[in-house]
Amino acid sequence: MLKMTHLSKVYRTEVVETYALRDFNIDVKEGEFVAVTGPSGSGKTTFLTIAGLLETFTGGEYHLDGIEVSNLNDNARSKIRNEKIGFIFQAFNLIPDLNVFDNVEVPLRYRGMKAPERKQRIMDALERVGLASRYKHYPAELSGGQQQRVAIARALAGSPRLLLADEPTGNLDTQMARGVLELLEEIHRDGATIVMVTHDPELAARAQRNVHIIDGQVVDLSVDPRFHAAHHAASEAHG
Amino acid sequence: MNLPIRPILVALRRHKAGTVLIALQIALTLAIVCNALFIIHARLANLSEASGVDEPNVFVIKNQWAAERPTAQVDAQVQADLLALRQLPAVRDAAPASGYPLQGGGWDNLVTLTPDQTHPITDSAVYTSDEHFIDTLGARLVAGRNFRPDEVMVMGTQQSITPPTVIVTRALADKLFPGGHALGKSFYAMGTTPSTIVGIVDPLHRQGVSQWNKAYAGQALIWPLRADDARGIFYIVRAKPGQLAAAMREAPKALYAQSRMRIIDPKDGVQDYAAIRHKVYDSDRGMAILMGIICAVLLAITAAGIVGLTSFWVGQRRKQIGVRRALGARQRDILAYFLTENFLISAAGVLLGVVLAVAFNLWTVTRFELDRMSLAYVGVGVLVLLLLGQGATFAPALRASRVSPVEATRSV
Repeated sequence: MLKMTHLSKVYRTEVVETYALRDFNIDVKEGEFVAVTGPSGSGKTTFLTIAGLLETFTGGEYHLDGIEVSNLNDNARSKIRNEKIGFIFQAFNLIPDLNVFDNVEVPLRYRGMKAPERKQRIMDALERVGLASRYKHYPAELSGGQQQRVAIARALAGSPRLLLADEPTGNLDTQMARGVLELLEEIHRDGATIVMVTHDPELAARAQRNVHIIDGQVVDLSVDPRFHAAHHAASEAHG
Repeated sequence: MNLPIRPILVALRRHKAGTVLIALQIALTLAIVCNALFIIHARLANLSEASGVDEPNVFVIKNQWAAERPTAQVDAQVQADLLALRQLPAVRDAAPASGYPLQGGGWDNLVTLTPDQTHPITDSAVYTSDEHFIDTLGARLVAGRNFRPDEVMVMGTQQSITPPTVIVTRALADKLFPGGHALGKSFYAMGTTPSTIVGIVDPLHRQGVSQWNKAYAGQALIWPLRADDARGIFYIVRAKPGQLAAAMREAPKALYAQSRMRIIDPKDGVQDYAAIRHKVYDSDRGMAILMGIICAVLLAITAAGIVGLTSFWVGQRRKQIGVRRALGARQRDILAYFLTENFLISAAGVLLGVVLAVAFNLWTVTRFELDRMSLAYVGVGVLVLLLLGQGATFAPALRASRVSPVEATRSV
């Protein structure tokens, strides 16, 4: 589903080159629920933005659903983002001027979908996240958990092949976070491929597989003592 | 492209202040620009308005007497002057006059059909001259006859004489006696003595060109009077074709040869119609330029307002734009979003502007008797404002379209 090979991302200034990702390799199979963890500044978000085609990379290869994306132009990248990827952001990123219905509608409009189909998909997605009755509400009228559910509905409405979640519970309290996580697990059980970036070991432990990034590279927990302890602690917590 | 008109309208409802202000600015600009364009066009059209004068061959001498004399002496001098002028080889004809078309200012009288009528029917410009006036101007007598020499009366300073015969313009004849048949009919334009219409000329412009008298445009009467004002008189001279320059050179010499007791200003005492027309429409030209500048400034201010508001909104919604891009918006979708948003605001503005423009014009029609504005001006104004809006939005919208989708992941 998502395969990066020897991928690198370099930020260059006049005097310095900074590697955000270096010789980065990852292979996420269809239907997997993968948690990407790592300390702050390790490159998690950079990985996610490249995986979501939000920005380009410097070297290596990236195949998304069998398509080599490095040479795609902006329109083609937008089309893939729209049709194959669903985003869930830490800050929800709902559009404050639009109500719940219109927020969920945004990606469907960019797909050029007809109004009746859009409406059906929006209501189905809102039904799934338990907010169908709130479709006329504005984001400011909802709790954080509800806003994140709307964001999930927005990501789901387009039936994406890949769901990318960036710290999806980072702005939520424990109870709301649990609800959102259960929703993600349910979505995964229904067959979606989910890649979730998180620094929360407890959250990561709920995923099928954990990928750890440090200094812009995927590291193997089994041989890296720095993350061994953290891995065990997380496992025991959910044991 | 699936234009998100409903969501844009919904979003605009939550940004009422900026939206309403820009729409109002567009409305006011449209109302002012439409009417200004109309006035500019009317003023520019005036510049080529028909005077009824054979302008390439006619010139005017402003003759001031150097000393006051009795009316009889003045009249004798005037007759001698006219004879001298008419005898010049380059001159076809010459006439005395109290005023001339496109002079600027002039003599107007109110006109009634009965001597005791309290509400005048209309207003008419008044010319006084002799039987040479029509030929000298090159005006066209379309009905009736010219004055006979014996009908020409002499009127001295402070005197008030109403001749029994009059020649009127077609416009005045139609106003007084709609449906034609004005010849032989009488009216009152000064005192209680009627004047009977013996001839009709068409066209003959008034002395003044003021827009405020537009309703009376073309309404003029000619009385057979030599108004021998002790201060001075106008001599209108028609040169033979191609001999204008020679006639203008020789005419003052001929007059000075008759008598040195006169003043003909060497600078503008002798003026051909090109100079007369240029001078009298100076204010029209100035007004057209001023209106043009006002229009340009207003349009520039409106464009600046739109650029400012759109730039502000783009800056304010940078994250939102990034989110839209992340969700699949192409650059052209973002561009279209802002252009559509501006179009909707501009459309609301121009709708209100059309109402204001027409209302303002109706006010000027009733208040100043100006013409009704053609809706073509409103159409042009609407088009200009809509294009201006789109043009002013384009640069900030283009900047917005270049916002990277990665903005969606940046914290505020």
